[in-house]
Amino acid sequence: MVRAYPYLLLPHLLSSRNRARRRERGDAARGLLFGGVGIAVCVALYQGSYWLTGHLEDYAELGDFLLRMGLSWLFLTFLSFLAFSGVVTALSTFFLADDLRLLLVAPVATRRLFHARFLRTVVQSSWMVVIFLVPVLIGVGRAKCASLTFYLVALLTVVPFSIIPVAAGTAATLILVNTFPAKRARDILMLMGLLFAASLVIVLRFIRPEQLLRVESLPDLTDFFATLQSPITPLLPSFWAGETLFASLQGGRDLLHAGALWTTALASVVVLRAASERWYFSGYSRSQEAPKARFTKFRALDLVARALPLSTIRRQLLIKDLKIFLRDVSQWSQLLLLLALVLLYLYNFRVLDLSKIPYMSGFLKNIYAFINLGMAGFVMATVAVRFAFPAVSAEGASFWIIRTSPITLRDFLWSKFWTAFVPVLVLTEVLTIAANEFLGVDPFLKVVTSLAIVLMTFALVGLAVGLGARYPRFGADPSQVAGSYGGVAFMMQAVLFVIVMIGLLGWPSSVYLLQQVRGRPLSASQLSLIALCFTGAIGLSLAIWLASMRSGVRALLAMGD
Amino acid sequence: MLRVPQMIAIHDLVKTYGKFTAVDGVTLDVTPGEIHGFLGPNGAGKTTTLRMIAGLLKPTSGRILVNGHDLASEPEAAKMSLGFIPDRPFIYEKLTAGEFLAFHGGLYGLGEPGIGERVREMLELFELGKWENELVESFSHGMKQRLVMCAAFLHRPRAVVVDEPMVGLDPRGARLIKDVFRKMSERGVGILMSTHTLEVAQEMCDRISIILKGKIIARGTVGDIRAMGEKDDDQLTSVFLKLTGGSGLQEIDEIV
Repeated sequence: MVRAYPYLLLPHLLSSRNRARRRERGDAARGLLFGGVGIAVCVALYQGSYWLTGHLEDYAELGDFLLRMGLSWLFLTFLSFLAFSGVVTALSTFFLADDLRLLLVAPVATRRLFHARFLRTVVQSSWMVVIFLVPVLIGVGRAKCASLTFYLVALLTVVPFSIIPVAAGTAATLILVNTFPAKRARDILMLMGLLFAASLVIVLRFIRPEQLLRVESLPDLTDFFATLQSPITPLLPSFWAGETLFASLQGGRDLLHAGALWTTALASVVVLRAASERWYFSGYSRSQEAPKARFTKFRALDLVARALPLSTIRRQLLIKDLKIFLRDVSQWSQLLLLLALVLLYLYNFRVLDLSKIPYMSGFLKNIYAFINLGMAGFVMATVAVRFAFPAVSAEGASFWIIRTSPITLRDFLWSKFWTAFVPVLVLTEVLTIAANEFLGVDPFLKVVTSLAIVLMTFALVGLAVGLGARYPRFGADPSQVAGSYGGVAFMMQAVLFVIVMIGLLGWPSSVYLLQQVRGRPLSASQLSLIALCFTGAIGLSLAIWLASMRSGVRALLAMGD
Repeated sequence: MLRVPQMIAIHDLVKTYGKFTAVDGVTLDVTPGEIHGFLGPNGAGKTTTLRMIAGLLKPTSGRILVNGHDLASEPEAAKMSLGFIPDRPFIYEKLTAGEFLAFHGGLYGLGEPGIGERVREMLELFELGKWENELVESFSHGMKQRLVMCAAFLHRPRAVVVDEPMVGLDPRGARLIKDVFRKMSERGVGILMSTHTLEVAQEMCDRISIILKGKIIARGTVGDIRAMGEKDDDQLTSVFLKLTGGSGLQEIDEIV
C-alpha cells in the first residue's frame, strides 16, 4: 500500500501536537510576547495600508497608478526574499535534515519525497511573507471597498506567487549541491548570502529611491514613475501578481497575468520534480561526504591569537570559539544577512540628500542620530541574542571538557564575553559612525553616540552572556536557544535598556544642542542635570554588565550542585 | 546445481571521494539465514559500504542487489526487503515510541488493521512495551537503540544491515539483541553486521569478511579466519590485528 506524500509530513504534525501538549517553562511569556508583537505588527500593517490606500484614493488616476506600482514593488521585494529563503530552506529540507537518513532508507519513491519536501519548503519559506501580506491586502481591499472576489483572487495569487521563487531557489540548491566537488553544501549558504545581498542591491537599483527626493522631478510624476519601470519587470511574477490584484481591486479580471502565474508555478513544479528525480539522490549523496578543512585552517587566526596578551587557556578558548563559529557557515551566514540589511540601511542614508529638503533642519538631522542609535541598539540586541546568548549553550555535549579541565567557570564565562564583545562593538560602532557621517550630525553627538555604543555593548553583551549561562539549552541549535525562555527574557530587557539609554542620552544632548543653536551657554542646573544623566547612563550600563556576568558565573557554579 | 538465492549481493562496489577511494571493488554476498560479520579497523570503509547498501550513498560504480532487486533500478522494491540499523540512528524526538513505529510501518506499507498489534508485539519483544506512549526524547541511548531495532524488524525484512549493533547496550540488552538476531536468521533473514566487538563476531557470525583500506582482505568462517593465524590456537583478535596491521602495540610502553 503506497501512501500519499502528505503521510511523510505526519511526524512534523505529531511532533508539533506533542510539543504543544507538553508545556515548557516560559511558554506563556513567550506566547504572550510573540503573539502580542505579532498582533501589533499585523494591526499596524493593516492600518498603514488602509490609511495609505485611502489617501491615494484622493488623487484619482495618479493614486491608482501609485497603488499599482506599490503592489508591483511589494511583490518584487518579496520575490527576492522568497528565492533566497527557498535556497536556504531547500538546503535544509532536501539535503541536511536529519530525518532524511530515515526516509531515504525506506521504500519511498523520490517523487513522493519531493512532493512532501517541496510542500514543506514552500510553507517554511513563505509563511512570513504571507503573514505580512494578509493584513496589507485586507487593508488595501477595505480601503477600496473591494468585494469578496478580491480576497479570493488574493489567495489565488499569493499561492502561485510563493511557489515560483521557492521552486527557483530549490532548483538553484539542487544545481549547486550537484556541482560542488565535496561536501560544501553548507558553504553554499555563504554564497547564497552574498547573492542575496547583491540581489537586494539590484532591487534597490530597480526602485532608485533617491529619485523620490529629487524635487526637480516632481512636476512630471508620471515620467518619474515610468523611469522606475525596468524593461524586464513585466517578465517577473511580481509584476503579474501586482497586475492581477490591481485588476481585481478595480472590479475587473486579469486572466492573462493570473494565468501566467499559475502556469509558471505548475510548470516550475513539474520541471523541478523531473530534475529532482534525475539528480536528487546524487546531490544528497554528495552532501553526505565529509567536509574538508582545506580552505578553513585559519592560520592567520592562530597567529593573531598567539600575539594577544592572553593566558594559554584563554587563548585556546578564543581560538576554539572563533574556529567553530567561522567553520559553521550556517551560523555566520545569518550574520551576513544582517550585514546586508545594515548595508542597505546605510545605503539609504547615503542616497538621502537631505540638503535638498528645505524643512530638514540641522536639528532634525540630530534627532536622526538618536533614531540611528536606537537602530544600532536593536541590531546589537539581535546580534547578541543570536550569537552571544547561546555562547554557553553552544558548548553542548562538549561542556564536560570545560567542567573537567583546570579552568575556572569564571574565566570560561569571561572568555565568552570578550569573544562576543569585540565583534559586536566593531559592527555597531562602524554602523553608527558611518550613518552619522552620512547624515552630517553635530560633532558633539558623534562623540556621544560613539561612547553610548561602547557602554551599550558592555551592557548588552554582558546581559546576553550572563543570561545565556543562567538559562542554557545544551544540545539545542543556536536559533532554538535564541528563541528559548532566556532568549525572550534577554530581548525584553535589552529593548527596555536601549529605550532608557536613548532617554538618558537624548534629552541632555538636545538641551545642549538647543542652547548651542540659541548661542547661549548652559546654566549650572542644566549642566548638573546633563552630568547626572550621562553618569546615570554610564552607571546603568556598568551595573547591568557586571551584575549579569556575576549572576552568570554563579549559575554555572550552581550547575553541579 | 541449485543456486542459493542471495539476500544481499554486492558486486565490485566502489566509492570515491575526489581522489580518495573509500570502498575499492568490494564483492560480498549474504545468503538467507546467514549472519555475515563485516569487520575492519576504523576508516576501513565498513560504514560507507553499509550506507550504500541501505540507499543512503550513491556508489561510484558497482551493483547492489537486495532480495534479487537491483538497488539502482528498483530502489523501492529493494528497500522494501531491507531493514537498516545505523550506528547513529535518527528518531523523531517529539514522537512517542508507538507513534514513531506506526509512522515507520506506514513508510513500508503497513497500515490498519494490524499495525497497532505489530507495533506492540515488537515493543514487547525489545522490552519497551511500557514505554509505548512516552516521548522518544526521554529514552536512554540503549532504549533508543532497541527502538531502532524494533523499527528495522517491524516490516518483516528479508535482509538486515546492522552497523555496530552492540554500542551503548547493557549486557542484558546485548544478550537480547543476539537472541533476536539468531531467531531472525533461523527464519531465513540474512544479516550483514559490522562490529568492532570481535567476541560478538566470533560468537554469532557464520561467515566474516574483513575490509582494510576499502578492499576485502579476508573472508571465510570464523574457523577459516583463525586458521590464517601463525598458531593453530590463535584467537580472532590476534588474527585480526595481524591482518589489519594493528600490531604496533609494542610501542605503547615507549609512549606511555
